[in-house]
Amino acid sequence: MAEQELVTIEINGIELQVPKGEMIIESAKRIGVDIPFFCYHPRLGRGQAANCRMCLVEVGTKQPDGSVRMMPKPQTSCSLPASEGLVIYTDTMAIQKARRGILEFLLINHPLDCPICDRGGECPLQNNTLFYGPGVSRFVEEKRHLPKAFPISDYVVLDRERCIHCARCTRFSQEISGDAQLEFLKRGADMMVSTFYDTEFTSRFSGNTIELCPVGALTSRVYRFRARPWDMKSQKSICTRCSNGCNIWLDYRPNRLVRVLGRENEAVNEEWTCDKGKFGHEYVNSDRRLLSPLIRRDGKFVTASWVEAYQLIASRLRQAVEQHGAKSVGAIGGAHLSNEEAYLLQKLMRVAVGTNNIDHRLERNQLPLADNVMLTRFGVPFAQNAIADIEQAKTVFIFGSELVDEQPIVFLRARKAWYRHRAKVVIAYPEVTETELRFDEPLVLRYREGTEAALVNGLIHLLLDSNKAVTDGLSPDDLQALRESVRVYTPEQVAETTGVPVQQLEEAVTLLGEGTVILCGAKVRNHPDHAGLLHALANLTVLTGNAARDNGGLNILLPEVNSHGAADMGVLPDGLPGQAPIGDEEARRRIEQVWGDNLPAEPGFNTHAMLEAAARGQMQVLYIVGEDVAQKYHDPELAQRALENAGFVIVQDLFLTETAQYADVVLPAASVAEKEGTFTNTEGRVQRFWKAFNSPSPEVKPDLNIFAELAVYLGKPIPVFSAEQVMDEIAKVVPAYAACGYEVLPAEGHRVVQGEARLRLTPAAEGAAVV
Amino acid sequence: MGELRVLFQHRDVPGIENLAVYEQHGGYSALRKALGMTRQQVIDEVKASGVRGRGGAGFPAWIKWNGIPKDERQPHYVLCNADEGEPGTFKDRELMMRLPHQLIEGMIIAGYATLAKVGYIYIRGEYTEPARAMRRAIDEAYQAGYLGKNILGSGVDFDLYIHMGAGSYECGEESAMMSSLMGERGQPRLKFPHAPLPTIAGLWDCPTLINNVETLSCVPAIIRNGGAWYASMGTEKSTGTKIFSVSGHVNKPGNYEVEMGTPLMELLELAGGVKGKLKAVIPGGSSVPILPAEKCEVNLDYESLQAAGTMLGSGGFMVLNDTVCIVRFMRRTAAFYAHESCGKCTPCREGTRWMVKIFDRILAGGGRMEDIDLLLDICDQIDGRSYCGLGDAAAWPIRASIKHYRHEYEYYIQHGHSIVEAQAQAIAV
Amino acid sequence: MSERIQLSDYPRVRRIDEKKPPELRFSPQAVEELERIKQHYPTKRAAMLPALWIAQREYGGYLPPEALMEVAYRLGTSYAVVEGVASFYTMYNKRPVGRVMLEVCTNLTCSICGGYEVLRYLEQKLGIRVGETTPDGQFTLTEVECLNDCGNAPVMQVGNRYVGNLTPEKIDALLEELKQTDQHTVVQLADTVVQCHLSESDRQAIAEALAKSSVSQEVDNG
Repeated sequence: MAEQELVTIEINGIELQVPKGEMIIESAKRIGVDIPFFCYHPRLGRGQAANCRMCLVEVGTKQPDGSVRMMPKPQTSCSLPASEGLVIYTDTMAIQKARRGILEFLLINHPLDCPICDRGGECPLQNNTLFYGPGVSRFVEEKRHLPKAFPISDYVVLDRERCIHCARCTRFSQEISGDAQLEFLKRGADMMVSTFYDTEFTSRFSGNTIELCPVGALTSRVYRFRARPWDMKSQKSICTRCSNGCNIWLDYRPNRLVRVLGRENEAVNEEWTCDKGKFGHEYVNSDRRLLSPLIRRDGKFVTASWVEAYQLIASRLRQAVEQHGAKSVGAIGGAHLSNEEAYLLQKLMRVAVGTNNIDHRLERNQLPLADNVMLTRFGVPFAQNAIADIEQAKTVFIFGSELVDEQPIVFLRARKAWYRHRAKVVIAYPEVTETELRFDEPLVLRYREGTEAALVNGLIHLLLDSNKAVTDGLSPDDLQALRESVRVYTPEQVAETTGVPVQQLEEAVTLLGEGTVILCGAKVRNHPDHAGLLHALANLTVLTGNAARDNGGLNILLPEVNSHGAADMGVLPDGLPGQAPIGDEEARRRIEQVWGDNLPAEPGFNTHAMLEAAARGQMQVLYIVGEDVAQKYHDPELAQRALENAGFVIVQDLFLTETAQYADVVLPAASVAEKEGTFTNTEGRVQRFWKAFNSPSPEVKPDLNIFAELAVYLGKPIPVFSAEQVMDEIAKVVPAYAACGYEVLPAEGHRVVQGEARLRLTPAAEGAAVV
Repeated sequence: MGELRVLFQHRDVPGIENLAVYEQHGGYSALRKALGMTRQQVIDEVKASGVRGRGGAGFPAWIKWNGIPKDERQPHYVLCNADEGEPGTFKDRELMMRLPHQLIEGMIIAGYATLAKVGYIYIRGEYTEPARAMRRAIDEAYQAGYLGKNILGSGVDFDLYIHMGAGSYECGEESAMMSSLMGERGQPRLKFPHAPLPTIAGLWDCPTLINNVETLSCVPAIIRNGGAWYASMGTEKSTGTKIFSVSGHVNKPGNYEVEMGTPLMELLELAGGVKGKLKAVIPGGSSVPILPAEKCEVNLDYESLQAAGTMLGSGGFMVLNDTVCIVRFMRRTAAFYAHESCGKCTPCREGTRWMVKIFDRILAGGGRMEDIDLLLDICDQIDGRSYCGLGDAAAWPIRASIKHYRHEYEYYIQHGHSIVEAQAQAIAV
Repeated sequence: MSERIQLSDYPRVRRIDEKKPPELRFSPQAVEELERIKQHYPTKRAAMLPALWIAQREYGGYLPPEALMEVAYRLGTSYAVVEGVASFYTMYNKRPVGRVMLEVCTNLTCSICGGYEVLRYLEQKLGIRVGETTPDGQFTLTEVECLNDCGNAPVMQVGNRYVGNLTPEKIDALLEELKQTDQHTVVQLADTVVQCHLSESDRQAIAEALAKSSVSQEVDNG
């Protein structure tokens, strides 16, 4: 943080020093003076602000002779930057009259909806009127009438009469989320907020406008008439709908989730949420939640007790291991479990069952750990950059991802980099994306599906030819080998293969310089030659000088809430906790010492191998934890065959999913709101979430407890008293998580990735898609 | 004092809107002279002239000219405010239709002095006839080499574009005009001290000089004859001449250019005198406080009119005789501001519409005595609290009308019809 | 007015597929004109007002949603933003209007010099109220704010022309004239405004571009 120039100003007779250019409304907060406002918001631009006129203060400037020359009109403190010698009065008679006047004006057309308005109880208009407003209105004319309670999407209801025209929603829509779907129509007293011709508000971030709106003009359709603010309690949690790990508040009434609000975390989601998360937690309340264990008898599910279920599972597991070996047992899942639970899952399977057949991955890329390109090249498992650092990038390269859908909060950062810091944007995707519509004229490389490697190698070829490649610290042999291998990827050849014109390739190379953050999504993760493509991207990262920068680097963005954590905790057939390879002697010793037990030495089956073996009838027990494999596996047909032909299927989930239809035992698990733990998000940040309320039935247990209890029945008890205690063990076993004990974990979370980038290059894979 | 034609010197010459005729009468000689001076010398002449913004603000023009940075780190722009919207004003209309080349010459000189290579004339959408005249004249000027690259071989470039508005009085406000020109809703932007002045960061965050049509039209004469010559006319603080657009109940309505400081009654005489009995005058466009007949012994310059409780404003000089009902007239004024309010800030958006509703109720016979003080209070709550000057402009006329004509309001409220009708009837009987 | 409105009573709002470009109906002439006008400014967005005037001309005197979508597409902005701009200014017609628009000023000077009388006269003569269009679609009558030609009060704007010093006789003659001519229609007004933006060199460039594209059209077809 650069040294900021300080200036001396005076507020209500108190002298203070503040950074130059700080808004007076913020400076006043420093001395406890709260200036009322409606339209001001620190994250939204000042351009459309200062329109409610509520934050007026009297302003003067100190003259050289010591006197104060007051400005003739009061000024809005939310847009007035602090400068040397400013004298501010926030509570004179004139200001009090001004505030009363503004509130009177706001209330003349505002409907008396408080009894039926969701905002009541947390409404700045109510609060400010109580403190500063007129007690009685002098308005005896007819109020304006506009369409009320008009649903503009499945999530948002617009009540135009209540709108006070603060422009927060339009500013958010135009500046932050970029879809610019909300705008004011008409002018003067007829002005009203609208989408284009009342069409659907399809923004992915519409939920934020609900939280921004100071009154009840934009309200949540899901939350409508559900509760009053004073009836609810709030608990801190993490959103589970994607891997970004946005911080949220769960507002709840006894044992029922009422709504989700964004929680502030500057490092991750600032204070925003996306609609998937904000409106996507209703499943917690669903009346289709599993309420007790189920056992299949005579082809039908019957309710059973936990004891029965555990006994059955333990006996089948023991039988399978004795008769067919540990290779015939496997567990799939873990990306939706907390770190503590994922850790217990792999400990259970390794210690109590004795197998390495565990994997959390459902996508196509299930490469061995030794082939993890990010680890070998950059020393980090998935992402080099923190989410907050994306903002500082000079260029954002969105590769193979519909970012708005896959990683909404990362998208908001990328957009912030462009909107506020003028970063350049390059997008590579086979089809038209919504993401590219949110930027003004980004460079879009529309390549043919499957030709990703050719595209990247073509860019490397151009980069090397153009002499703009950053080659310091690279071995000349490496460079030569790479040059040879990409020689065949001439611009013309690549243009023909990928369909991207030469001129665009050249433009891309000029834009991808130092300070480029590469964000890779589903197309990269699911590429048939994932390792080859990643090596090419890693080469590109090194050659553009982004191997070891804060504001540059390669990032593989993960699909599920705890994909990162599951990998870190060792839910991998060939990876131990800490993503240490199974053959790593030092890691094995360390873990065996803490666990007091020997680890199975031979690498196990990954998900695909497990499913194939199951389909052939060679798996005796399949333990599916928190994943709907039958529908979500990248080859659903294989998954279904596997479940059909597996000897005994255990499914642990919240609902009776498609997968559960194949189960022999179904165990009811608790949702994120009903337990505590930590998740590791896509940038490697460990964040805590807390328990809000109890599960819908006492028979529903957190996965943590299930694993611990199952271990007892298997004869190898794992003493577990709390998630905190498990994390303490993790801290001993995984060096990167040493600082994650609950006592010491900071509020904004802790990034556990730290890598040494290796400045080497890998020659392009032979024949990689030069079709 | 009296009529003094500086801008209108050649107004009545047939065909003066054509380049050839304009050149015959000394046209573009000021440009030639300016190109031979240094830029600072040009600005100094404008300073010496003391000319003040003729759009209504009365801000000394040279401060803006001198405030443009002297370097060319960014492109500079000249923006001519031809969005004449102030009711009662029609001087720019005539200046553009009759003397388009004078304006063009003024803009080129302004561009030269402020290192601007691009100029825009923002003409309101309704002014298609003046716009066509400007279009013809600009094309002629390009043809003759007064616009475009390397003007008259001086190495100076200047391109002039017309940008038409689409019906919004608020776009006459300089920051709203910039918004409108940049393709947005015509809402004003943050002003000093919240944001830099337009001369530092205006159009597209680049230094921009914004002047009214009349102000820029003064420039050729100032350069030709010198700033001191211009300052020798008028009064000490209000130098030069002003074009007043006289309309309403006069016998010869039209634009009259008079020396600053001319007595108001003399202007009335120039315009053929009042039709009927003089009741009041609004000397500077609808935004300025009304001046009752008793107070009309006053000189027309910024200071004198301010001392008399009104303003010079844009010079839209409306004459009202005693058939005018002040209450109805003020209702129409309030309705104008309510219709033109951009809606950005709370006081103007809500307050102006509220005042119209109160007026409508009074005019329909449902007025109450407390409505008069309520109107005054609303004016107090808008004036000074709004985002831009439109709020102030909405409050001043209403307030002044109540101050001078409270009895008319009271009469209307008590009787449900205008005092003017009662008086007329009394006379008839 | 407190009926119980259920959210489900509202019809489902229409959804626009942002990824699909809208239908483009600008004539080649209009496309070239917009391209030239865009060159006058450093950003595309600044051509918004002229672009809306072109659209108003191309779409027959008013701006249906399709027109706004086309302008948004050509300027690279969102549909809602264009609707916001178009609805701010009074001269963009959001609804279809008659062939000729009669805009009567009733503001300050005109109001004391007979503006309202002109309005009432026209209402009576055309048989419609202010804001309405005659059944034959010829005339739309509106009341407007100050046209700033107060010296000739009462004043009316008819397309690209002001008519002042109005008397009943003058109005009658004017109406007859307007029925015969195309010079002052709503569409002609939009065209006049657009032409004011184009310089001589703009017009030449447009003519050249159109000639070239028609030649290549022939080559393609022939």
